[in-house]
Amino acid sequence: MPEEEGLKQKNIQEMNEKMLSSIRPPTGKWVFLAVVLGAITGWAAYAWWVQLSTGLVVAGINRPVMWGFYIINFVFWVGLSHSGTMVSGILRLSKANWRRPILRAAEAMTVFAISVAAMFPLIHIGRTWKAYYLIPLPNSMGLWPNFRSPLLWDLTAINTYILGSSLFLFLGMLPDLAVVRDRSVGIKKKIYTVLAMGWRGTDREWSLYGKASTIMAALIVPVAVSVHSIVSWDFAMTLVPGWHSTIFAPYFVSGAMFSGVAAVITLMVILRKAFHLEHHLREEHFDNMGKLLLVISLVWSYLYFAEVLTIWYGHKPIEWEVFIFTADRYSFLLGLMVLGNAFITIPALCFRRVRRSVTVMLFISILVNVCMFTERFLIIVPPLSHRNVPFMWGNYSPSWVELSITAGALAGFALMYTMFAKFFPIVSLTDVREGLEMKKKLKIGRSTVNARIEGE
Amino acid sequence: MEVLGLFRNIETAAEGVNNLLGENIPEDTVTSLSSVPIPKGTVIKRDHSAWFQWVTLAGGVIGAAAGFLLAAGTAMLYPLYTGDKPIISMFPVGIITYEFAMLFAIIGTIAGMLFQMRLPCFSKKAYDPEITTGMIGISVICDTEQERDKISGILDRSGAVRIRTDEEVK
Repeated sequence: MPEEEGLKQKNIQEMNEKMLSSIRPPTGKWVFLAVVLGAITGWAAYAWWVQLSTGLVVAGINRPVMWGFYIINFVFWVGLSHSGTMVSGILRLSKANWRRPILRAAEAMTVFAISVAAMFPLIHIGRTWKAYYLIPLPNSMGLWPNFRSPLLWDLTAINTYILGSSLFLFLGMLPDLAVVRDRSVGIKKKIYTVLAMGWRGTDREWSLYGKASTIMAALIVPVAVSVHSIVSWDFAMTLVPGWHSTIFAPYFVSGAMFSGVAAVITLMVILRKAFHLEHHLREEHFDNMGKLLLVISLVWSYLYFAEVLTIWYGHKPIEWEVFIFTADRYSFLLGLMVLGNAFITIPALCFRRVRRSVTVMLFISILVNVCMFTERFLIIVPPLSHRNVPFMWGNYSPSWVELSITAGALAGFALMYTMFAKFFPIVSLTDVREGLEMKKKLKIGRSTVNARIEGE
Repeated sequence: MEVLGLFRNIETAAEGVNNLLGENIPEDTVTSLSSVPIPKGTVIKRDHSAWFQWVTLAGGVIGAAAGFLLAAGTAMLYPLYTGDKPIISMFPVGIITYEFAMLFAIIGTIAGMLFQMRLPCFSKKAYDPEITTGMIGISVICDTEQERDKISGILDRSGAVRIRTDEEVK
């Protein structure tokens, strides 16, 4: 019996070691990756500096297309951020046992994606040093933000989401930080000791922690829904043809979840490969995420169809004009969006073999996000190009500054994520181990059953 | 003073707790330490009622009031007359109120939870890093050295693989 227990303890030690492998000292490959990502981010910072010193004239945005790549990126990154916390919250509330290995990756994605998203309105306004006008501060000019504007709702919602999702991520990491603390030495130990806050894993701490996790999950889901609804209202509250639609909020929320779930799948594949987590991120996890992606793809397709059907049936001249213009001028992008988001994804994900293939899932998840970026472009640019007054019709193509900043956003996100994975456990150690404990076998009568807790 | 006994598994830890209770050690001085949550009642039967959800609620109410005052107060202080529309527009005010209510409720949840957990706590307490490798700790609070020795003896007889005190940690 003691030998058996010793073996069990050794297994747990090995598991800790394996799951914390990401926080080992950096390898040459890691440093190279960080330098490349840092260089791309640095180039984007230079492009932004050029814009700051020269003015918005260096960007492709013009009259009438005053919202371009910056706002497309903003909507796209808010969308990506959406699913991390929301999926995590929903899976926690529904006690889906398979959630455990993917929670941390999803929650971290939210925090970094929303941070990247929050940069874009600051870049878009051009005179970034005037951004404090958005904050309710007494000033000599008697200016005060106008809360009737959806842009102010956005500012409030995004700040709520950044703070909320950061706290949600921290809450999930608290027991794991204690594990890292116990394995660290020197300055690292001091830092993790402060971060772990003196967590010992007492029965009292676990009891309160469980209740707090449930409450936080219940609070963060409606916040996530509100954030992307409010982003949609930035558009829908205007009278721009193609934007002024009641369906925009649910359509945006479904789109955000769609791209967010796809991004979680992409990250799962990368983390699995990079940190050799094949044992924890198994085919069944990709299968379940594939089912989730399939359902959201169906919802997105349904809402898109409802929107197009309403425009087509009503045939209001200006709305129809915008639609025809989009279909004519941007036919390739429109086709790509519909194919990638619906006609390829839905049939493919119906097959179990596809959902269980890590390579195919990586391809589908990247395809979905390319198509969702395209969808953001099609939502923003064509309606502005072709508004009510024909003598103000125009075109838009992004400049090198906008393209550089877009590339820098992706690299910056990847860099933040890479750094996070180097300093914090990227797989929720406690959650995974709890799941394994619950899979222990219990002998009842003549059968042996899993010792799962009720609801799991 | 605090004594910590380290056990290899839940069964021996539960046996240790039974032995402590059998020797009239009050249950409210006994705590289990583990790296994963243990189902309630398997080692410690005491129920930990949470009150921090009231802090969540209070945070939500305060946040709602703050959001309402910010949005409606702004409209009152800097009125923008638009046709015959009211100065305080209820939908925008409602949205800001909602966002602030949720933000303060979230902050209240974390603050309340940490407060009830009595964290952060950086004073040295009886602890062993082996707990993170799957061992179960049984910690007992006591007042005198005689009690400490008695508890150490019980834990030792119950199969604890190691016994530590907060004095050692310090």
